[in-house]
Amino acid sequence: MNSIIIDGLSFSLPLFIIAIGGIYSERSGITNLALEGLLGFGAFTGGLTAAIIYQFTAIGGTASMYIALFAALIGGMVYAMLHALLCIRFKANQVISGVVINILATALTAFLTNQINASLFGKASNRFVLEVSPRFSIPLLSEIPVLGAFFTSIYPFEIVILAVALIMWYILEKTPYGLRLRAAGDNPQAVDAAGVNVEMIRFSAVMVSGAMSGLGGMCFAYSISSNVSPSIFSGYGYLSIAAFIFGNWKIGPTFWACILFGFARSAGYSLVNVLALPSAYSDLVLTLPYIITVILLLFVSKANKAPKSLGEVYDKGKR
Amino acid sequence: MKHKGYKKAIVRILGPGKAQYLRISLFCIFISLVAGSVLLLLLGKNPLEGYVSILQGAGFIPKARYAGHKSIFTDFMSLVNYTTPMIFASLSFAVAMRCGIFNINISGMMLFSGFIASITVGYSSIPAPFAQILVVLIAVVAGAFSGALIGWLKHRFNANEVVISIMFNYIVSYVISFFIQTMFINPTTRQSERVGDNAMLTGVDTMIGDLRMDVSYVFPLAIIAVILIGFMFSKTRIGFELKAVGMNHSASRYAGIRIGRSVIFSMALSGVLAGLAGVSYYLGTFASIQPRVVPSLGFDAIAVALLGNNNPLGCLLASFLVMTISNGTTYMSSRLGVLREIASLITGILLLFSACGGAFKALADKYKEELDNEIDGGESK
Repeated sequence: MNSIIIDGLSFSLPLFIIAIGGIYSERSGITNLALEGLLGFGAFTGGLTAAIIYQFTAIGGTASMYIALFAALIGGMVYAMLHALLCIRFKANQVISGVVINILATALTAFLTNQINASLFGKASNRFVLEVSPRFSIPLLSEIPVLGAFFTSIYPFEIVILAVALIMWYILEKTPYGLRLRAAGDNPQAVDAAGVNVEMIRFSAVMVSGAMSGLGGMCFAYSISSNVSPSIFSGYGYLSIAAFIFGNWKIGPTFWACILFGFARSAGYSLVNVLALPSAYSDLVLTLPYIITVILLLFVSKANKAPKSLGEVYDKGKR
Repeated sequence: MKHKGYKKAIVRILGPGKAQYLRISLFCIFISLVAGSVLLLLLGKNPLEGYVSILQGAGFIPKARYAGHKSIFTDFMSLVNYTTPMIFASLSFAVAMRCGIFNINISGMMLFSGFIASITVGYSSIPAPFAQILVVLIAVVAGAFSGALIGWLKHRFNANEVVISIMFNYIVSYVISFFIQTMFINPTTRQSERVGDNAMLTGVDTMIGDLRMDVSYVFPLAIIAVILIGFMFSKTRIGFELKAVGMNHSASRYAGIRIGRSVIFSMALSGVLAGLAGVSYYLGTFASIQPRVVPSLGFDAIAVALLGNNNPLGCLLASFLVMTISNGTTYMSSRLGVLREIASLITGILLLFSACGGAFKALADKYKEELDNEIDGGESK
């Protein structure tokens, strides 16, 4: 039971922060299938930073982890500008741009990782190995039966994610900028008439989604594999897209969708463990979050309301 | 005045007129080759030598030396063998896209039909020509089924087809991985057991004259598919309806086109083509399935179709282009000592620029309009 909660949380939270990024982008009117590529590129930047810190400086442990997380955030943000540029400046089809960004991210990170490993660190490898992230338990709270698991062996990044998520929620729902962003996705003409630059709003929203994806991607790298390798592209970006569509493009419900995915996954894993099934059975279990998504999606789709101008290029002349 | 010359040049190269889309695609290819050259220069290699060795590796230019029983023709046949699944897959995407559906499930459909065909016919002892025909038929049925299912879900439940497709990709990949690992695994290769030669859609190491080469039996079928799809879109009623639905849902409904039927039909057809891509990939180019891996070809096909402007003939040419780069790079990387990954990087850059194709067109059209206005303005004075 404890491991279900602990592993569930450490999977749900990175998924949640990536989904928040997606919400920002889509609420502003830009379809974002590129989350997968953004999180991968962010994790690549973070991994590279961690590797450089480890090799050339004396900074170690927790400090290097925070620097890596920050680097991943910046890396994802910079790479997201490519998607923003294609969708907003070059008016490309947003879905296609997203797919292309993903393909390019896979190719680019694989090439750069190999190249940098060979030329900078002098070894042939397709991954950056990370230091194992420390974990901690909150005294007293962690001793509560059952619920205590929520406070046991927490990754430091989980706290970071919760804090960032709270800030992002506040910005989106309570500030003028958030209001304009949401309006840009529903009625960009009105935003324009109010004297706000729609394209700037959308551009910044896509950059935010890149930053969040980069952060989430780096967290996945720390929690799942302790290295940054091509296996970072295993569909978590797409899963978070499903999460926020299922959450109806709202941060609150999306949180519960992510929790559901994370716990379905960890519960499945511990089921395989408890029943002592061969490892091949974990493949069947891994389908659980996806099957749940499909079924739930069929039920909620009729009631779902996407932002009205989602995927449309903003055209000043249109009414 | 100089500024105007630059606009004129853009209008001349990319502006409205004959074969505008073709010219834009060629322009995209050109600038990505330039970008690739810059990349090679940065790595300290000679780009010209790089591109020549890509063409040599793909069998367009003779290499300096060949091993026994090999020649330029062998390399080219191998390129054809690798390109066949890509042609089917890019057609599959184009058919759905023309109807306004974004089919990102091609990889999953390929895996599904390849797996079904492998376990039913691939491991059987049905004699050669029948087994191969059966493989193709199974692919058609399995593909049509999975395509129609997604089309139906989209129509019936208004489900977002992109998310559904992505979820199906993972479900199919994990479930098939489970079956392969429990029943069909080859312990040494960690892949599924090789399918029998009787069911293979590629004649591996077939001797033709003095040469030993891989012959794709389904390549002619791919060409036929290109022609048929082209005919369907330009000459038939159903093709017209698909295009109409893709352009404007409401207008088509008003004109009396049955939207649901068009959506499900185009997804089923897309599925058939993806199924053919799957068998020509898993029982042709390769002979076994790697568990837990979705073929990246299904995603690359999206961009290939985009480069080919969702036009059947365009898909054919774009498939050859992209596969030439990826096939030829193996030879280039060994000749020049660059990393193998550079192939997908050059392809990625190519796709990036083709995604901007619409912007190039808009830019050229705008300049044309501006120039025309200036001429009109000059005359009226």
